[in-house]
Amino acid sequence: KMAIRELKVCLLGDTGVGKSSIVCRFVQDHFDHNISPTIGASFLTKTVPCGHELHKFLIWDTAGQERFHSLAPMYYRGSAAAVIVYDITRLDSFQTLKKWVKELKEHGPDDIVVAIAGNKNDLGDIREVPMKEAKDFAESIAAIFIETSARNAVNVDELFQKISKQIPPLDNPEVDSNESFKITRQPPPSNKRCC
Amino acid sequence: MHRSLDEKDRKDKRQGDSMSSSAVIQPSQGDQTGSFFKLIDSFAWEIGTLKKEMVQKAARDPEPDTLQGLDVELGGLFFHAPPSVGLGAGPAGAGDSGYQSMRSRMSVLDRLVQTHTVWLQLGLSHAEATRILLPQPTGTFLVRKSTTLQRKVISLRMSLDSETPVKDFPVTESQYMFSLEGSGLSFADLFRLVAFCCISRDVLPFTLNLPKTISAAQTPNDLEEVAHLGAGFWDSELGRQKKSYASWSSGTNPQRQSPSLRQRSVTTPLVTRTPSQLECSQSNGALCFINPLFLKVHHPEGVNQTHQPCAYNDPHRLNDSTTAEVTVVQQQQYCTRDPGPLGDGTCGPVPHSPGSSPQNHDNGGIVGVSRSNSVSRPPPPRPPPPRSVPTRPAPLGRQLSMPQKISWVNTPKEREKGSSLLSRLGSSLSISPSSSFLSSSPPKKLSISAPISIPLSLSSPTNRLKPTQPPDIDCHLALDDRTIENAISLSLAKMSLRNADSPSDHRDPAPSNVEDEGGRDGGRGDSVQRLSDMSLSTDSSADSLDFSQGFFPPLPEPSPPTTDNLALPPLNNAYSSMEDEDDDDEDELGASPESDQDLTVTPPGLRGKRAGAMVIQRALRGHLRKMSGVFNSLLTPEKRAVRRVMELSRDKGSYFGCLVQDYLSYLQEGGGSQVCQCHASGLELLQTLRQFITQMKSYLCQSSELDPPIQSLIPEDQIDYVLEKAMHKIVLKPLKGMVSGALQEFQVRSGAWKILKENLTLAKARQPREMGVADTLPPDPVAIEKIRHKFSTMCKLYSPEKKVTMLLRVCKLIYTIMEDNSGRMYGADDFLPMLTYVLAQCDMPQLDNEILYMMELLDPSLLHGEGGYYLTSAYGAMSLIRNFQEEQAACVLSSETRDTLHQWHRRRTTQRTAPSVDDFQNYLRVALQELDSGCTAKTLQVQPYATTEEVCQICAYKFTVPDPENYALFLLTEGSSQQLASDTYPQKIKAELHSRPQATPFYFVFRRVANLNDLAVTSLDPQSNLNVILSTDSKPDLTDITQTRLDPQPNLNLGLSPSLSLSLPPNQHKSSNSISI
Repeated sequence: KMAIRELKVCLLGDTGVGKSSIVCRFVQDHFDHNISPTIGASFLTKTVPCGHELHKFLIWDTAGQERFHSLAPMYYRGSAAAVIVYDITRLDSFQTLKKWVKELKEHGPDDIVVAIAGNKNDLGDIREVPMKEAKDFAESIAAIFIETSARNAVNVDELFQKISKQIPPLDNPEVDSNESFKITRQPPPSNKRCC
Repeated sequence: MHRSLDEKDRKDKRQGDSMSSSAVIQPSQGDQTGSFFKLIDSFAWEIGTLKKEMVQKAARDPEPDTLQGLDVELGGLFFHAPPSVGLGAGPAGAGDSGYQSMRSRMSVLDRLVQTHTVWLQLGLSHAEATRILLPQPTGTFLVRKSTTLQRKVISLRMSLDSETPVKDFPVTESQYMFSLEGSGLSFADLFRLVAFCCISRDVLPFTLNLPKTISAAQTPNDLEEVAHLGAGFWDSELGRQKKSYASWSSGTNPQRQSPSLRQRSVTTPLVTRTPSQLECSQSNGALCFINPLFLKVHHPEGVNQTHQPCAYNDPHRLNDSTTAEVTVVQQQQYCTRDPGPLGDGTCGPVPHSPGSSPQNHDNGGIVGVSRSNSVSRPPPPRPPPPRSVPTRPAPLGRQLSMPQKISWVNTPKEREKGSSLLSRLGSSLSISPSSSFLSSSPPKKLSISAPISIPLSLSSPTNRLKPTQPPDIDCHLALDDRTIENAISLSLAKMSLRNADSPSDHRDPAPSNVEDEGGRDGGRGDSVQRLSDMSLSTDSSADSLDFSQGFFPPLPEPSPPTTDNLALPPLNNAYSSMEDEDDDDEDELGASPESDQDLTVTPPGLRGKRAGAMVIQRALRGHLRKMSGVFNSLLTPEKRAVRRVMELSRDKGSYFGCLVQDYLSYLQEGGGSQVCQCHASGLELLQTLRQFITQMKSYLCQSSELDPPIQSLIPEDQIDYVLEKAMHKIVLKPLKGMVSGALQEFQVRSGAWKILKENLTLAKARQPREMGVADTLPPDPVAIEKIRHKFSTMCKLYSPEKKVTMLLRVCKLIYTIMEDNSGRMYGADDFLPMLTYVLAQCDMPQLDNEILYMMELLDPSLLHGEGGYYLTSAYGAMSLIRNFQEEQAACVLSSETRDTLHQWHRRRTTQRTAPSVDDFQNYLRVALQELDSGCTAKTLQVQPYATTEEVCQICAYKFTVPDPENYALFLLTEGSSQQLASDTYPQKIKAELHSRPQATPFYFVFRRVANLNDLAVTSLDPQSNLNVILSTDSKPDLTDITQTRLDPQPNLNLGLSPSLSLSLPPNQHKSSNSISI
């Protein structure tokens, strides 16, 4: 029986780059009839096996508009991973991505896994962000890099697989945490009254 | 958690009939029927089955006496299985020692519950268990927790020639289920599991063998004696058994019981009532309930399928699932003291009338088997031992389909104490869910939900034995078949109607609303009119009825079954107090938050299994609201545990109760003014509350005050959740109003309220686009009104979890509106602006504090899930609104807000380290006693090392005593009063008194020092750490001290420890004064 590990994953990126499309694709592709829709697409979950564990991704989408930028810390706090999405046909979305990287470095969790996803790679003919540039940038910050197409379901699963692999496995499942189960029950007092 | 939401979604779809096209992810299609109707469907099917079985049974049951004997023997144990299913050693193998243990009317279960201190030794190692069991006969057992397996195990004494003299059989705990590893039988708690194993060996080599002292005990007092010994029992004289006992052969034993049984059955006061009678029986207190039982059978080999319910429900489902489940709906029971004319004209109302056999009702025809059982098992002619749950039918073997508990014992003793009667009743009615519904559970051949009665109230039997009322009230069992049948047929009719309608419903824009409004108003005309004659109580916990795969094929998520109950108001005053105990918030609310149940936020991984449960209640709720607390004890294990904790919290004799009550009264002091004084902000208040809840949970887990230990009632991974729920009821429920008021007060004081309102007005005036809403059409005013309504319902709830559930409904509604208008799915880019817009349009500034309340009080384990996500979003949206002007100017939130968010997260995610109870020991309740004006009591904040002198200063200040030098602090225990020396520590004294095995009531009283001449200092123990100056006080007016508890028992041993030596006052007459706090 595999242990389920819940991983909070935060989605960052400019509005319109396809953050939620990626997640919807990820969650939907392997449609499991036991997992029916949740409240809405901003929060979705999916469980995937990884080694001896099951990783349950709790995916927190964020609003990309500038006015909501200040709320982002609430979303990425406690995240095991952050997926920063940009649109390969929009250079400005890549600039926004760099801002997110910077903010995560400064304020994000220390051990957060950062993944950079260049979405809409099905629109290569109007590409504005060269793959090499993005890849080099990702390497410079030791981030996962992948180009995806949510529309064509390209590399979406791979993106999350890469994240899964970077999550350090739990070494010691807390075996001894329950150790302190001391119960030396006293006989109940005979004349204990109850009101 | 999201699974529960999923569940909810599905129901929404089914009930709203309109969402399937717009859903984010399509659920399994093909189910357009409300779950309620499926339930009814199952009822109907079950009734059919039962009828058939009744006939069969009548035709082929050649040994009624034997069966009855078994029933009696089994006592609280219910056992039922399809006749065709081999039960292994089931009842057939039950001929041995288990029966021997049931000579008197105490059931095995009763015995087990009462003597758990003997056999439930969770702390024992294998070596210790072996040492204990080695001298014991084969079959003797202990339940302990294996440190290597990290599970509970039954350590069983094997046969003498066995290689391993003591073998461990692990217990598997799953969703509210206990079962033996390798067994398909699941039980609601450990007691039931063990009780069953005393009867049937199941996967064990032989049945469990209770020590003879326990199995042969004739009275609860005997058992109590044994229980007192605890683990020491095994080394005592009592624990040494003769070997001969070990091997009892039986088979004939059950029949020994038959004569007395038959005799008893003559007096069955079974009566039937019509719904209308129920309706008018407010004061007479008829009770009724529907008790669904669930039985699931796996048939991997395709054998034993004679009882395939699937065949009825959905034949092709059967093909893709090897799982078949049988759901058994139980008949109703009524209890009344009213011997008036009864419905159906079938049955004499006269108690003890032998002629009143309900068999006559067969034309009602709902619950044949069970009824015949109940008939044959009338209350005993003499009052049963107080601890024993009245005997009740335990259908065995062929009587499998109708496991129910029908027992209503009308002894005056039981009436004395509402709670004990309640628990007995409840225990006799409770039904346990079966874990086999869990998809995660290992494949099981057979899983039986075996409800066994268990008295929850375990307080000393001596209390219950005090006869207080003449036995003038008789309770009758009444099985109203017709009521149910009518309801069912009506519902069936309605279901078909609904089905026919469903296509036209397709465009309903707010399906989720359909269902909850339907549930809430209940009055939505068309539903189930006959049921309006009844009161239906529904379990507020989410686990109510099961929709298992076999039975309700469209529901992909199986869940454990539970009990649903119908009930009418209490029988008499003795019971009415129970209504107070029935504090499901939804009942007070009038709204029906529990229709949220399927949307309840639950720790991930936990909920899906619990959630299935939809229920009768949604459809019937409005009609069946008149529920009283009487049937509270038709409880799920979760509910029983919650109730247990609540009882403890009210018992100031317990340390836990004392802490809780002190804390509550401290906060409530001065009608809430105290709260505003003692906390710097609303945030701090909420944090303190959260901390208190967390610490009390931690204390409950570690202490042994809960009896029986919660570990025996609730699987371990559920304990935290259950305790959280209990603490919400205990702490948040009573404080809700006060906290809300204080939060508002803080906000007004700081000026934040004004700013919030201004900004809200500004934001409300904005167009959707200005709020960031781009491609989507915003909700229309009608939808906004709907949302406002949901929000105001949310505001009334006390449980942060339920509030979040309500918030999720709002979010769902917003999504639905967005999607319906555009046909696509939306992520946060669209949702968050829309949420902000909606919050602004709702114009409810109080939501700010509501969100704060949820943020701070929600169980931290839920914060990462869906509830946490949308709560975060709501908080963010509200922050934007709160800072609207500023945001307009700077387009960013103030750094202050960001800091707040930052801190919040840090605090809420690091808080999970186990706290200590210490902080909450800092309350001391002190009564001011004045000669002329009687007593007033206050709860004061007193540090552990505050001296009596300091406490006196606090008292003088708090009570505004003009001449404090003439006052002193006294410790009153029963019959004695002692002035505390100025350098003693009242908190330590309190702790010391609490830590005694036999806690006696004590009170700190601040009062005028008596004339020094009257003060006789009788002893001064210099070695006492507490250094208490002991004195007697002859003032006779102690009776003025009136608090919550009366303790009239004068001659109790004070049980004083040496460190606090007291001398009893010479005038013992004083001890008759009742003093209590």
